[in-house]
Amino acid sequence: MSSPDTTEEGLVEESIESQEDLIIDEERDVLVESIKKDLGSDFIDSHVTPQIDIWIRVTQKAWLETARVLFEKYEMSFFNFLSAIDWKPSPFGRDMDAAIDNTDDEVDIESEMEWGVTGGEKRFQLLARVHNPVTNIGINIKADLEGDFPEVETWIPVYPGANWHEREVMEMFGISFTNHPNMVNLYLPTEFEGNPLRKDFPLLSRRAKPWPGIVDVELMPGEDDDETEESGEET
Amino acid sequence: MNLEASTQQLSYIANQASDARVNIELETEGMTLNLGPQHPATHGTLRIIVRLDGEQVVSAEPVMGYMHRGYEKLTEVRTYPQVTTLVNRIDWLGSFANEVPFILAAERLMEVEAPPRAQWIRTALFELSRIANVVLFLGDMAVQLGATTPVFYAFRDREFVLNQIESVTGGRFHPNFDRIGGIKDDLPKGWIQETKDVLARIHSFCDEMQDLVVGNEIFQTRTRGIGIIPADVGLSYGLSGANIRSSGVDWDLRRDGGVGLIHDQLDWKVWTHPDGDSFARYWVRLQEVRESCKMVDQILDGIPSGPIMAKVPRIIKVPPGEAYVETENPLGVMGYYIVSKGDLVPYRVKIRSASFNNVSITPWVLKGVYVPDVISILASLYFILGDIDR
Amino acid sequence: MEKAVIAMGLVENGKLPGPLTKLLNISRKYSLWVYQWGLACCAIEMGAAFASPRYDVMRLGVIPFPASPRQADLVVISGTVTDKMAPAVRRLYEQMPEPKYVISMGSCANCGGPYWDSYSVTKGVDQIIPVDVYVPGCPPRPEALLEGIVLLQERIASEDMTDRWNRDPIVVT
Ligand code: SF4
Repeated sequence: MSSPDTTEEGLVEESIESQEDLIIDEERDVLVESIKKDLGSDFIDSHVTPQIDIWIRVTQKAWLETARVLFEKYEMSFFNFLSAIDWKPSPFGRDMDAAIDNTDDEVDIESEMEWGVTGGEKRFQLLARVHNPVTNIGINIKADLEGDFPEVETWIPVYPGANWHEREVMEMFGISFTNHPNMVNLYLPTEFEGNPLRKDFPLLSRRAKPWPGIVDVELMPGEDDDETEESGEET
Repeated sequence: MNLEASTQQLSYIANQASDARVNIELETEGMTLNLGPQHPATHGTLRIIVRLDGEQVVSAEPVMGYMHRGYEKLTEVRTYPQVTTLVNRIDWLGSFANEVPFILAAERLMEVEAPPRAQWIRTALFELSRIANVVLFLGDMAVQLGATTPVFYAFRDREFVLNQIESVTGGRFHPNFDRIGGIKDDLPKGWIQETKDVLARIHSFCDEMQDLVVGNEIFQTRTRGIGIIPADVGLSYGLSGANIRSSGVDWDLRRDGGVGLIHDQLDWKVWTHPDGDSFARYWVRLQEVRESCKMVDQILDGIPSGPIMAKVPRIIKVPPGEAYVETENPLGVMGYYIVSKGDLVPYRVKIRSASFNNVSITPWVLKGVYVPDVISILASLYFILGDIDR
Repeated sequence: MEKAVIAMGLVENGKLPGPLTKLLNISRKYSLWVYQWGLACCAIEMGAAFASPRYDVMRLGVIPFPASPRQADLVVISGTVTDKMAPAVRRLYEQMPEPKYVISMGSCANCGGPYWDSYSVTKGVDQIIPVDVYVPGCPPRPEALLEGIVLLQERIASEDMTDRWNRDPIVVT
């Protein structure tokens, strides 16, 4: 991604911060503080969007511990999902994007990685969410994973529902879970090669016959022409 | 049957089974039964490998992926407006409801809000798609327990709901109608009155089902006390929607979620049932269809006038950030976790679909039940393959 | 598709007198037992066409109730065929007795549809089994499926078993 994007991001972060000054969400702030105390040094970062959501980032070795604390102490009994994010942009330039096809630029991967909310350090980040149905507060948990084919402890002892989610993550990202009773592919045939949700997994149909890009954009109701011209330049 | 009695029954069954094992003459050999990939009880192509000891299930392991279409990867190469076309097809019975959380998440990132009229129409369509979805369940569960008629009634009355959806959106069940910042079109003329007539039909359909199915003795014997899911187990497996409400958990995102739909301005009720068995799941869904009808009725009376589209750029670029929005879809909690890097396309979309979690409880709940109950339990959990496999 | 049909009787040999062929064709045309192979969203539209009172497929002489593919003359492949599913589809087709017909319903079964670039979807069921009628749409309306069936019946009515495999497929427009 080029420099204009970075400046854009800076702007947005500013606006979020100014919002935070306006709305204070005590309930969530207190919760984050208390979780921080419980996890100690394994708690890396957190982010609260007032009235909306919480993100926390923990270390890889505290992954199971975090689930236990959230389940037992904070009664986050509802298991939403468990997944992962691959932060390394696609090595095929941007041909995976619908708009710009088949640029053969080699991307310098290490310097290109950019993380989202609560930051990050490694290519793979686990992402899970649990929810407290009584207070209606959900929490997103992230953890950086070491290496290209990382291993992390399973959540099944705390949330049995994580079973299938972890199998899905395993086949989609190549992240395996220790102590998982049945670590086999969930969706894909056993002989399938590659991990589809990794960014470096090519969609071969797209490479053989690229998407023509945006050819016809329908006019939104109540829109005037000036805007159209403006955005036309962008593409 | 309450929980205690059923545990007693279960332990009785277990005792009998072990007795049988002692008695060599009655010993049964283990047998593996393959349900699916194509089976009427599976709404598509779920395959379940059931290991049996006589008539009793020892273990059940669903084999999935027969309908895996790779949504999460494909969203990474589709622009935001294109994604709604795609996600329509996740839960294909209540398609419009699939678009809503995605659009809401994108709106949250873009910090736009749909004008009130758009929100009201959205909610109306959201509830109509719930009706279209659950009505089919009401007929379909009966058909799987051996009653053929209700499904014909369901298809008959569902057509009218689809007609209403079609006359607004142009699609019978893949509307692709929701837009970031509003909805695509306004309501056609005369729609409100027609919809009211349809709602009356659905009400009478519910009464019919109440008499025909719920009041049916055979249906009750086949569902009461079958497949009991206690609330805490259900929650830790991530069960949601009517499945968890029928275990007595009073949690409905339409009331508690506080996202950009207008359910909080309507007068309705969240139904729960303490039993957690197949019957409760059917019963709760039946009540929910009635509630949805009530909601749509109120919406039709109260739709405010005004624009249906907020100001959004023609080419949609979503600012960098992450957002997770979930709504109470017909099948349960459906959410989208969007990671945006400020591009035309999302960087990553995690789709949290309800059926995936709802079905992940099957190995637990099918253990120890009898073969005919397998069908009753699967039918009452109510899943849609596209929603499991994505 | 290779011509692996083994000539077993008069019909397959194509040595029937004309009027008898016609009679057989008419009777086959109005007693199509159709096996519903519902795979995805299109299955619901197929269900609407086959099971709902509004569309009522039985008036066309199509009977949608065979319990197994071994009793079926026609299979409607409605929905997305994934690579994992493909062998099962192929096996189902092989189990059906001759003469057998296939209707591919929906863009997914025709060519991959909205998942044209997916890593797990078979781009067109015609890669694994021969298709007689293609019904486009995503999903096709039940009426479109009915038209597909009517067109198939027309073909059956004028069919000569010998050149069964030499024909081009029908595309419903
Ligand atoms: S063609 Fe469209 S409606 Fe039919 S199965 Fe495919 S995605 Fe679903």
